[in-house]
Amino acid sequence: MSAPEIVFDEVSKFYGEVLGVNRVTLRIPPGITSLVGPNGSGKTTLMNLLTGLVHPDRGSITVRGFSPRDPERLMRITGYATQYDAAPRGATGFDFVCTSLLLWGYDSRAARTRAAEALERVGLTEAAGRKVAAYSKGMRQRVRLAQAIAHDPEVLVLDEPLNGLDPVVRAETIALFRDFAARGRHVVLSSHVLQEVDVISDQVILIANGMVVAEGRIRNVRDEIDERPSQFLIRCSGASRVASLLFGRDHVSEIKMVDGREGLLVMTRDREQFAAALNEIALAGHTIESVLPADENVDALYEYLIGGQR
Amino acid sequence: MTRDFRARQIWTIARLELRRVFFSKRSFWVYGLALFPVAIFVAAAIGMTYERRSYEAVNRVSPALINSVNEGESVEAVLERLGTPVRDREFRRRHRGEDDESEELLVIRNLRYWDGSRFAELRFRNGILEAKFIRQLISLERQRQAYNGVFHYYYLKLAIFFGCLGIFMNLFRGEMLDKTLHFWLLAPARREVLLGGKYLAGLLASSVIFGAGAALMFAAMVWPVDPLEARAFLAGPAAAQWARYAGAAMLACLGYGSAFLAAGLLVRNPIVPAVVLLMWESINGFLPAVLQKISVLHYVQSVCPMPAPMDDGAPALVRLFLAPAPGTAWPLAVLGLCALTAAVLFVAARAVKRLEINYGGD
Ligand SMILES: Nc1ncnc2c1ncn2[C@@H]1O[C@H](COP(=O)(O)OP(=O)(O)O)[C@@H](O)[C@H]1O
Ligand SMILES: [Mg+2]
Repeated sequence: MSAPEIVFDEVSKFYGEVLGVNRVTLRIPPGITSLVGPNGSGKTTLMNLLTGLVHPDRGSITVRGFSPRDPERLMRITGYATQYDAAPRGATGFDFVCTSLLLWGYDSRAARTRAAEALERVGLTEAAGRKVAAYSKGMRQRVRLAQAIAHDPEVLVLDEPLNGLDPVVRAETIALFRDFAARGRHVVLSSHVLQEVDVISDQVILIANGMVVAEGRIRNVRDEIDERPSQFLIRCSGASRVASLLFGRDHVSEIKMVDGREGLLVMTRDREQFAAALNEIALAGHTIESVLPADENVDALYEYLIGGQR
Repeated sequence: MTRDFRARQIWTIARLELRRVFFSKRSFWVYGLALFPVAIFVAAAIGMTYERRSYEAVNRVSPALINSVNEGESVEAVLERLGTPVRDREFRRRHRGEDDESEELLVIRNLRYWDGSRFAELRFRNGILEAKFIRQLISLERQRQAYNGVFHYYYLKLAIFFGCLGIFMNLFRGEMLDKTLHFWLLAPARREVLLGGKYLAGLLASSVIFGAGAALMFAAMVWPVDPLEARAFLAGPAAAQWARYAGAAMLACLGYGSAFLAAGLLVRNPIVPAVVLLMWESINGFLPAVLQKISVLHYVQSVCPMPAPMDDGAPALVRLFLAPAPGTAWPLAVLGLCALTAAVLFVAARAVKRLEINYGGD
C-alpha cells in the first residue's frame, strides 16, 4: 500500500453554477486535521468528495490509496459522521448503529457487541434503548459519531462534530479523536470556529470560498500570519485627510474607510514604520483618538485570511 | 470481496430496506390500491349472498316450474301456478295511442322468481307476459369475466403501475428527500450492489402486496359461487389460472419496478416519467412490432390466462386503444420481460454510479 495519506490533487467541484471547491490540492497525513472556514466555504463539500458522496468535476482524490469511486474498499476503512441524521424512523440509537454494522458484513451477534461498545465510547449507553427521534441535538451528534466509529475505521471524517456538545462531552469526544490519531489514523473534522479546534489539531486547513487559503501545523499557520501585513483600526477626525497622508507610504498596503468618516482600517507591512508615521501625522495637528490592532487574536487572523479572500 | 460477499450484502440491504418499504407512510396508499378491488369483490359477494338469503326466505320454486312459464300467459295464471314471487314491481304509465288522440293506461308488472340458483324476471304488459329473462344469480363464468376485466384494466394498468411508481421511485428519490440516502452510500458496498438490494426489496414488497392482492381477489371472486361448482373449479383449472394471474402481477412489478427505479435515478420529477410511461404503454398497441417489445404490458398480458375482455359494443377508437397486444407464448413473454428489465437495470446501474448526494441548500 502507498503512504497512508489523503491526497487531493487539483480538485474542483461545482454545483451547476455554484462553486463548491476550486482547485484544492492537499496532502493530509494521519493525525487530527481540521477544516476551518465560515459557512458555505466548502468544508462539507470536501468531506463529501473524500467519501464519494459527490464526485469531483476535475482532479483526483485518493484516501490511503483508495479511490472514493470504490466505496466497497474505501468505506471499509472509513467512517463519516455527516451533519444529517440517517436513523430510520422509530429506530433506537442501538438499532441504528447495529443496523449499520450489518452493512459492514458483521453477523448480528458481532454487530450487537460492537454497537454496544461504540455507544459506550460516546457515552450513550443509557440512552441506547431510546428512539433517536427523541434525542437532543448533542445526543444525535454522538450517535452519529458512534455509527462512524463502530467498525473501527482508519479514516474518521466528522462534519462539525463538536457542534451542540456540552463542555464535558466535548472533552470526552476530543479525547476520542486523540486516541484515534495516536494509533496512526486519520481524523478529519470541520468547524467554523478556529478556537474550537486549533489546540486539538495536528493540522489546520483554512478554507474560504471553496479555496484553501492556509494549511499546515497550527503554529506554522500562525507564523505565516506574522509575516503578513497587520491591520489597525484608527479612530480620528478628518479621516479622509489622514488617509491621504498615509497613502503615500510604501509600508501601507491598503486603507479602508469605516463608519462613515470617523474611522480607518489600515493594512501595513511594517508596524514600526507605521507607528512612526502616525506620530508624524499627530504632530502635524491631526487628532488621532485611538489606534487598535484589528487582528491580534486568532479570530482576527482568521478574519484576515478568510476576509482577505473576498 | 467475493461474489458471495456481494450477494450477502444485497440480501442484507434488501432486508433492511424491506422494513422501510412495507411500513413507510409513503407506501400505505399502495396497500389501498392493491386491496381496493378485493373489497369490491367481497362487497359484491356479500350483496349476492344477502340477495339469495332474502329470496330463500320468501319462496323457492322448482326450475321446471320456471321453465314452464310461457309468453302470453296472464299474471293470474302465473301467480297461481308459481306462488308468491320474490319480488313484485308495478309501474303505470300513460301511453299515447297511434292516433295521438286516445290515451291508454299502460300497466307494467315485473315478477321475479327464484329457483335456488337462477332467477327469472317476468315482465307483464297489461297483465299478459311479454318477456322472460332467466339469469344465474352467481355464475362462475361471469365472476371470472369480471375478475379478468378488473385484473387487466384496473390491476395491471393502474394499481400495479402506480403502486410500483410509489414504491420504486422512492427507493432513491424518497431517501434523497428525507436526507437519509447517505446512510446507504457510505456503506462499504458497490453502488450496483446497493441498487440490487434496493430493487430486490422493492420487488419483494410489491410482489407480495400485489401478488397477495390478486390472490385475495381471486378468493373473493370464487367465494360466492355455488360450492359444488366452486369445488370443481378449485380442483381443476383454478390453481393454474391463479398462478398465472399472480405471476402476471409479479412480472408487472418486475418490469414497472425497474422502469421506475431507473426513472427515480434519472429524473427529479416523478410525474414526467409516469405520464410518459403510461402513454407509452397505452399507445403500445399501435406501434410497430419491434417497439411493442419494449413494453411491460405487452409481455404481462401474454402471461394472463385470458385476454383483456372487449365489449363488442365499444366504439372503434376505444377498442383500438384497449386492444391487447397480440400475445406471445408465455415462456417467451417471461424471457422477453426479463431481458427488458435487465436492460433497464443496466441503465439504472450506470445512473447510480453517477449519483450524488444533493439535499438542497441549507
Ligand atoms: N447540493 C448543493 N447544491 C448547490 N449548491 C451547493 C450544494 N451543496 C453546497 N453548495 C454550495 O457550495 C458551497 C460550499 O458549501 P458547503 O460545502 O456546504 O460549505 P460548508 O460546509 O463549509 O458550510 C456553498 O456556496 C453552498 O451553497
Ligand atoms: Mg457544512
